[in-house]
Amino acid sequence: MIRNRTVLLVFRLVLGGLFVYAGVVKALEPLDFAQDIRNYRLVGQMLSFVAAVVLPWLEIVAGLALAAGIWTRAAALTISGLLVFFILLTLATMARGIDVDCGCFGSLSRKSGWGVIIEDLVMLYLGLCLLLDKKKGQSQLKSRRNPCIVPRIF
Amino acid sequence: MKDARRILRQVLVLGGLSIIVAAAVNFPLIKRLARGEFRETFFQAADFPGIRLITLQEAEDLWSGGKAFVLDARAAEFFGRGHVPGARNLSAAGSGIEIPADVLGLARSGTLVVYCEGGDCRSSLALAKLLHEAGFLDIRVFSGGWGEWQAAGLPEEKGDDQE
Repeated sequence: MIRNRTVLLVFRLVLGGLFVYAGVVKALEPLDFAQDIRNYRLVGQMLSFVAAVVLPWLEIVAGLALAAGIWTRAAALTISGLLVFFILLTLATMARGIDVDCGCFGSLSRKSGWGVIIEDLVMLYLGLCLLLDKKKGQSQLKSRRNPCIVPRIF
Repeated sequence: MKDARRILRQVLVLGGLSIIVAAAVNFPLIKRLARGEFRETFFQAADFPGIRLITLQEAEDLWSGGKAFVLDARAAEFFGRGHVPGARNLSAAGSGIEIPADVLGLARSGTLVVYCEGGDCRSSLALAKLLHEAGFLDIRVFSGGWGEWQAAGLPEEKGDDQE
């Protein structure tokens, strides 16, 4: 039987690691990322700059917290919130027919589209599993059935 | 309820911590912003010698006077939906872009105008850099891109690359 502790640990490391990676590549090139945000044509020059400076560090801090198991549910909530925002942003971009790099992984970014949305949905699933793991204060080592194997959270 | 409040408080702390670290790490950039840089563009000319940004007016003048070869750096799908009349599609999406022979055959001293979706988006800059490396001497990035061209109601052409 798959134990929660193992699955949730893997989820935490994968999701946290992905966010740290995504944050670091963007934090290294803040002006490139600012331009990516500007290209979505949703916010102006100044807000694009502010978002490009802060967002990568929010991803890094939340990713590190999640991977390290510190304030796991708060980190999962932050990451899930970001993912919901990214999904809505991608959908809006597709609806407006704009050709834009998603900006998700710095220079490794692809065009915004269904592929990006599917990736984000998979990550959102991991994030919600961690967020809905309600045994607060209990050690992750306590074994129990994993609520996320059957995706009943949806 | 108490649990939710605690989690929200922790989220705020994570956010606050991120802002503090971001401000500290990017302090030099923030100082440049305060000095008035980045008001128009995030493009750093020093990174792209020989390439310069042009406005809609300049792009239109070059295009209408037939003084420049126009390159559209967007994906073919978007190019097909509408582009600057006479433009050649040379998608700079992804890596491993190859400049086709007909473009390479152009005079190196001729003027090239490159654009993508809007803003000085990365694909037009990537293509401009590549063209610069290929020896072209006068590359102009139309920073407003397709978005600005279309918004200004300038002529457009639909369909695949005519070349």
